[in-house]
Amino acid sequence: MNWKHALTMVLVAPALALAQGKPTDPQIAHIVVTANQIDIDAGKLAKSRTKNKEVQAFAQQMITDHSAVNQQAGALAKKLGVKPEDNATSKSLKEGAAENTAKLNKLKDSQFDKAYVDHEVVYHEQVLGAIDKVLIPGAQNAELKGLIEKVRPAIQAHLDHAKHVQADLGKKK
Amino acid sequence: MKFVPERLEVAAGDRITWTNRDIVPHSVTATAAGMESGELAQGKRWTYVARRKGEIPYLCRFHPVMHGTLIVK
Repeated sequence: MNWKHALTMVLVAPALALAQGKPTDPQIAHIVVTANQIDIDAGKLAKSRTKNKEVQAFAQQMITDHSAVNQQAGALAKKLGVKPEDNATSKSLKEGAAENTAKLNKLKDSQFDKAYVDHEVVYHEQVLGAIDKVLIPGAQNAELKGLIEKVRPAIQAHLDHAKHVQADLGKKK
Repeated sequence: MKFVPERLEVAAGDRITWTNRDIVPHSVTATAAGMESGELAQGKRWTYVARRKGEIPYLCRFHPVMHGTLIVK
């Protein structure tokens, strides 16, 4: 007998929200795109510099996943007619990224790997915090809010993965 | 991120379809069993016909934290 089975890959999103300052939707769209682009760029840098296979695989995953999110965010902004608007949060994200890149550029081999992965842990923690406290509570448009809610578990998975790589790098000495 | 359900029992000859409902790409990969969906973008589906009996553990090539098991009876 032939049965047709349907399986799905879904995200489980436990969201807790604490409202802080509320940016507008065009600002939220800008923050989402900026935050993703920063991690794509960091991933590209790591991929070109690391010799560690685990770090390489992690960096590739960051590039793939954050590119997919940005593609969706771009398409949604276009559909909604939202023009992403630069803001203080985006600026501070970019400043942090520039500092991190400058730091990474001075390091190599295992020191580079450690600094990259340590920063990925902190970065994803920060992004999760922003999602819960600023972006989800702040988004007015339901589709924009839905997109961010859908992204959250991927960020959580990245954080777990980064912590795993961090632990593995700590074992190698 | 996970496969839902993570364990699934099917009969030999059954067709199993995975749908990616996530925003990021995933795969259904079990190298030993020769099962490989390739990259599945959001909304894409992949169907596998389970012919050989046994347990097939599989994962997502991009997110190795995602595991699933197909039990073919």
